[in-house]
Amino acid sequence: MRSSRKRKALDWVLLSLAVLGALVVVAPLLLIVLNSFKSPDDYNQGGPLQLPSHLYFDGLARFWEASDFPKKLWNSIFISAMVAVLGVLVSLFNAYALGIGRARGRLPLLVVFLLANMLPQEALLYPLYNMSKAVGLYDSQWSVIIIFTVIQSAFGTYLLTSVYSGFPRELLEAAAIDGAGRWRTLWQVVVPVSWQTLSVLLIFFFIWTWNEFLIPTTFLVSNDKQTVPLAVAALQGEKLMDVTTTSASALLGLIPTLVFFLIFQRTLTRGVTAGAIK
Amino acid sequence: MRSTRLALGAVMLAGALVVSACGGSGASTDSDDVDTTVDGEGRTLTLWHYENETSAMGVAWKAAIEQFEKETGAKVEFEPKSFEAIRTTASQVLNSDKAPDVMEYNKGNATAGLLASQGLLTNLDGAVEAYKWEDKLAPSLQTTATYDSKGVMGSGSYFGIPNYGEYVEFYYNEDLFKKHGVEVPTTFEELEEAMAAFEAKGVTPLAESAAEYPLGQLWYQLALTKADRDWVDSYQTYTDKVDFSGPEISYATETIKDWTEKGYISKNATGIKADDAGVSFINGEAPMFFSGSWWYGRFVEEAKFNWSTGLFPGAEISPGSSGNVWVVPTKAEEKDLAYKFIDITMSPEIQNLMGNHGGVPVAAEPEAITDEKSKELIANFNTLTEQDGLGFYPDWPTPTFYDELNAGLQEVLNGTKTPDEVNEELGSLYQDGVDSITGGS
Amino acid sequence: MTPTKTQQPTGYWWYLLPGLLLVSAIVIVPLGMNIYYSFTSYRGILPPQWIGLENWQRLFTDAKFWTSFRNSIAMIVAMVVVPTLLGLLIASVLFDLVGKRFGGKVASFLRATYYIPQIIPIVVAAIVIGWIARPDDGALNSILDTIGLDGARQNWLGDPAWALPTIMVVLIWVQIGYPVVVFMAALARVDPELYEAAELDGANWWHRFRAITVAVIRPEIFVVALTCTIAALKVFAPVYALTRGGPGTSTIVPSYYSYSEFFQSTQVGYGAAISTALTVVIIAVSLVFLIAQRRVEQEEEQR
Repeated sequence: MRSSRKRKALDWVLLSLAVLGALVVVAPLLLIVLNSFKSPDDYNQGGPLQLPSHLYFDGLARFWEASDFPKKLWNSIFISAMVAVLGVLVSLFNAYALGIGRARGRLPLLVVFLLANMLPQEALLYPLYNMSKAVGLYDSQWSVIIIFTVIQSAFGTYLLTSVYSGFPRELLEAAAIDGAGRWRTLWQVVVPVSWQTLSVLLIFFFIWTWNEFLIPTTFLVSNDKQTVPLAVAALQGEKLMDVTTTSASALLGLIPTLVFFLIFQRTLTRGVTAGAIK
Repeated sequence: MRSTRLALGAVMLAGALVVSACGGSGASTDSDDVDTTVDGEGRTLTLWHYENETSAMGVAWKAAIEQFEKETGAKVEFEPKSFEAIRTTASQVLNSDKAPDVMEYNKGNATAGLLASQGLLTNLDGAVEAYKWEDKLAPSLQTTATYDSKGVMGSGSYFGIPNYGEYVEFYYNEDLFKKHGVEVPTTFEELEEAMAAFEAKGVTPLAESAAEYPLGQLWYQLALTKADRDWVDSYQTYTDKVDFSGPEISYATETIKDWTEKGYISKNATGIKADDAGVSFINGEAPMFFSGSWWYGRFVEEAKFNWSTGLFPGAEISPGSSGNVWVVPTKAEEKDLAYKFIDITMSPEIQNLMGNHGGVPVAAEPEAITDEKSKELIANFNTLTEQDGLGFYPDWPTPTFYDELNAGLQEVLNGTKTPDEVNEELGSLYQDGVDSITGGS
Repeated sequence: MTPTKTQQPTGYWWYLLPGLLLVSAIVIVPLGMNIYYSFTSYRGILPPQWIGLENWQRLFTDAKFWTSFRNSIAMIVAMVVVPTLLGLLIASVLFDLVGKRFGGKVASFLRATYYIPQIIPIVVAAIVIGWIARPDDGALNSILDTIGLDGARQNWLGDPAWALPTIMVVLIWVQIGYPVVVFMAALARVDPELYEAAELDGANWWHRFRAITVAVIRPEIFVVALTCTIAALKVFAPVYALTRGGPGTSTIVPSYYSYSEFFQSTQVGYGAAISTALTVVIIAVSLVFLIAQRRVEQEEEQR
């Protein structure tokens, strides 16, 4: 049942403020788009704020070829997707035990998991580098996947545990009465009810992992294993920088995540209906 | 019981010997070990560099790859890298079995020197002797190719081989000069006159960036006009203490302050990056740009006016050095292939190709350079090398001096510190950094 | 009520196994190694050499180190306080008002636009910020000129007095999408009947916000506040991409300082000391948060 469709003046004011805020926030993105289709001449003469005099696709094309962009795209998708899925799984298991199972020593355990998020990444590099060499995972995408699964699931564990602490006991008891064990309760009751939060985690993990630079740079040595942000960074020469090509590459680099987010966004809006509880 | 223990002991001893033999800085390769005829059938050379493929080096090295494959029958696996990634991960990659066979790396104590001092680079003395590269490198170019056990350049063994050079010079927008009725300067006095004339017409004469390297290089050039070779050696290779309140540096900092107050350098340079400064020259805003030979190719492509170049008027020594060097990691598998490749990049055909594409080769044949503007570029470089006038760069002495120098000069431009204060601050930061290098760490 | 099989706590330990294994290998062990390095002189290749408390003694008298922590406070304001408050407001407006009065599609679209800065890689965003902040012809100064405020022109990133505030604004811009998305998802958990009942009782939007919204999504508020605080203390990439800690030391932060020690000076031991100090601070702050959250939860249960 929707609230009355009467829109008061205040509503319009608030809407315009929200839209204004959104415009300010999105302006830099528009600048990127603007400069991605600009030839270097246009940039030199007009600066970054002018419209291009004609659409210029060479920068985009050259970057696509030179960086073997499809391969980089696939690498990024593979790594980000694996981390998203594995990260959510690990978070789910941890939070199930801590939030719903109320395992003893919840607070210290939560801190232990959160440590993955608390350590500055630079501090991890030398130790993990030595360890990965020892097990032969140096220059392997799996080392990156494992590391990020741990780091992202720290956040996931924390968020899910907080949410599961307030999980309706009636649902669990109802499942127990039906004779469901822990495993079935997890998959048939807990996951469907918290699907909203799980989706948010999937999206976050995917996007966060996609934009990472420091750890992939350290562990992905061969070019054919590298990800999109690394390919974009490779354009920045030590002393010279081709701004319009960098802009074009940036655009290419963020379209996948944008698309991904827009698709998953619809899942978020479907929302959890009160019907799940009945 | 006894025999088992003895056997165990022997195994441990042998193991220890093997381990100690594998580690440590590379032993010198005798020239008998380096064979200049190389059969590469069925072998692969892994090569990394980070030069843009359309730049002079990119073009020349691509040709070198083709020639190498033809001559030796080996395959080349080339991976273009980003400088930032290499700088961050170099010591880690080279210490693993993913190290390439040959790669480009930055010259200087803080970069190549550091790696050499930690045993990550192969000692190239044997290859140098076998291929006679010393004959092709002028003495000041050899400085950045040799490093001692502490990683300080100028003495010791060869660890890197440069095949191109770079230096800093003035770029003049001749059309703008003509438009405002100003003469292109040939002496220092004329330079100051020209800048004053532009300023009077409301044009900021110098394109500058204090957020990145350009202003630091101008500062250094000013110091070099009052310095001699010994001072450069002290500054760069720590042969003697450098007095930051001495005549060279005081002059440099004072002049920067002076020029800023006179409006020759914009105060806003503190927020401007090198690329922006170059662009302001390309689009005709600034008539003069003091920066590196690496801009050359881009100006040829994108500048739509008449322009010329010239060394800093009246200077005997200018910032400049060999280009980046080829290094062969200690863990490289195909070392003699690597040496062969390096030799090909030093060969006349490749060097001439580089020269004709706007690069600054170290050993090109002057007659073979046909492009007029390239001739000018290379001639300036040769002038410098002949008078032993390569001063290297101001940020080389310590790994953090780049940021520290930029920060100090920004404070001069902002007026938040006096030149004396900045000199003192820079002096102590410089000394700290040098001490931690020479103090046996 | 006697606990049934599903409710006995001990059986849940199996679910913790994968997480605990992973965290030990990837986090606990490296943390230990990092602490160890802080007591050594280590250049990354040849084995570390024990030097005891030398790095730590140097750290306590290092002015740059203390400045970096002072700047962290600014980061917390920019990445926690403002985004959480603003994000809560925006999420509430979008979900409650816009969603209901103007349609879910409008609300979704606006949410997506607010989230975009989180999707843009910071290296790319830095280029754009550079264009906007340019002193001569950057967008910001140009706009100030146009509306007649040309006295307010500044060298936004190059002036030590303005660099930190400018970075703070950039960070707000980057962070805002995260609370908005989390809070909007959380708001979906609120039973709409509660709102309707309150509206029938005569409560206006603000009353409903305080009494219902904030109460129900308290867990998410805690999570957002804590994770943003940790991120603010750890912040590295924006500083690296925009100012490298300058001009001077006006924007240096602990992470950037330890990075420069690790990878530029290759003084791994000293860098490890800095990052260990930072970790200790982060752990302390997190504990405070978690204990406060636990206490609030317990109060809730007793109601």
